[in-house]
Amino acid sequence: MDNFLNVLSLFLIDAWFAWIPAVGFAMVFNVPRKMLIYCAIGGSFAHSFRFLLMHFGMPIEWSTFLASACMGFVGLYWSRKYLIPRPVFTVASVIPMIPGSFAFNAMIGLMEINTGGYSLELMQIVMENGLRTLFILTALSFGLALPSILIYRGRPIV
Amino acid sequence: MMILSEEAQTEVTRVAVLAGQILHQHGAESRLIEQTTQRLGLALGADSIELSVTPDAIVITSLYDGRCITTTRRCYDRGINMQMVCDVQRICVMAEKQLLHVKEVKKRLKRLVPYKHNRWLVVLMIGFSCGSFSHFFGGDTAVYWTTFVASSLAMILRQELAHRHHNPFVNFASAAFLATIITSLGVIYDIGENPKIAMAASVLLLVPGFPLINAVSDMLKGHINMGIARWVFATLLAISVSIGIVAAITVMGISGWMR
Repeated sequence: MDNFLNVLSLFLIDAWFAWIPAVGFAMVFNVPRKMLIYCAIGGSFAHSFRFLLMHFGMPIEWSTFLASACMGFVGLYWSRKYLIPRPVFTVASVIPMIPGSFAFNAMIGLMEINTGGYSLELMQIVMENGLRTLFILTALSFGLALPSILIYRGRPIV
Repeated sequence: MMILSEEAQTEVTRVAVLAGQILHQHGAESRLIEQTTQRLGLALGADSIELSVTPDAIVITSLYDGRCITTTRRCYDRGINMQMVCDVQRICVMAEKQLLHVKEVKKRLKRLVPYKHNRWLVVLMIGFSCGSFSHFFGGDTAVYWTTFVASSLAMILRQELAHRHHNPFVNFASAAFLATIITSLGVIYDIGENPKIAMAASVLLLVPGFPLINAVSDMLKGHINMGIARWVFATLLAISVSIGIVAAITVMGISGWMR
C-alpha cells in the first residue's frame, strides 16, 4: 500500500510537470488557443503513462512507442470530433518525450572527438546517445502514425 | 457534375496550389499537403489533381476533360503555424460540403493571417517548460530557477533574431551560446546540488522537435525525399546548437557537458 501511494505520487508529479512543456511548445507552434487545453491533457497523459511503463521495467523505446501510440489514438478521436488535423494535438503532446539531451550529447561528443582526438569513451558516448536518439524518435513518430497506418491507410482522417 | 471552362480550370488550379503552398510554408506534413490540395481541387470540380511535393516547391497539375493545367509555386519557410493549417483544413472541408465556391475559397485563403501568441507569454511558458525538463533530470529548486532564467533569455534572443529574419542556424547557435553562458555561471558559482543539469535542460527549447517528427512520419508514409530534407535540416539545427554549447563551455572553461 505504501509502495502504491509512493508510485501514485511520483506519477502525479510527473503528470503535473509534463503539461507545461507540452503547452509551451504548442505556443511556439502557434496552436489555436482553444486547443491548448488538449495539448496539456495529451502531454501530461503521454509522459506520465511512459513514466509508469518505465517504472515497471519496460525499456524506454518500447514505453515511448506505447505512450505515443495511445496519444495517436486519442488524437484521432479529438481530430474527428473537432475537425482539426491530428498533428495539431499530437506533436505538441509528445514534445516532452523528445530525446533532446541524448541528441545534443551525441553531437557534442562528436565535436570533442574532433578537437581532443579519438578515444573509446567518447565514441561510446556518441554511439549510445546517438542510437538512443534515433530509436526513441522513430518509436515516437511510428506510434503517432499508427492510426493512419493501420486503420485509415491513405484515406483522409478529417 | 460541374462544367469548367479553361479559365475556370486555371482558377481552380490556382486556388488548390495556394492551399498547398500555405500548408507547406507553415509546416504541415507532406501527406496532409497532398490530401488537402487534392480534395480541394476535386471539390471545386477538377477530374483529378496530381501533385509533387518537394522540399522547396510544389508542382500541381489539374486534369479536366483531357485538358491539363500545370503550375508551380515556390514555398519559403514561414515558421511552424498550426493555426494556419487548421484554417486551410476547415476551408477544404467546407468546400467539400459545397458550402463555398471557387471565389469564396480564394477570398478566404487570401484573407488568412498567421496568428501569433503573445511573445512574452511564450517566453514565460518556455522558461517554465525548460524548468520542468530540469525537474525530469533530477534537479532541485535552485537548478530550476537557473534553467528558467537561462532559457527565457535564450527564447527572447531567438524571437528577436527570428523577427529580424536571421538565418535559423545562426539564430539557434547564438541562443544556445547565451543559455549555456548563463547556466555555466551557475556551475562556476555552484548554485544548487547539480548545476550541470541546468546546462542540459536550458538548451532543450532549441530541439527541432516538429521537423524531426515530421521527417520520420513523412518517410513512413512514402514521402522519402521530403523526409530526408526535413531530417537533414533538423540535424543541421542540432549541430549548430551543439556548436553554440561547445563555444560557450570553452569560453567559460567548463569541462564536459552533462558529465
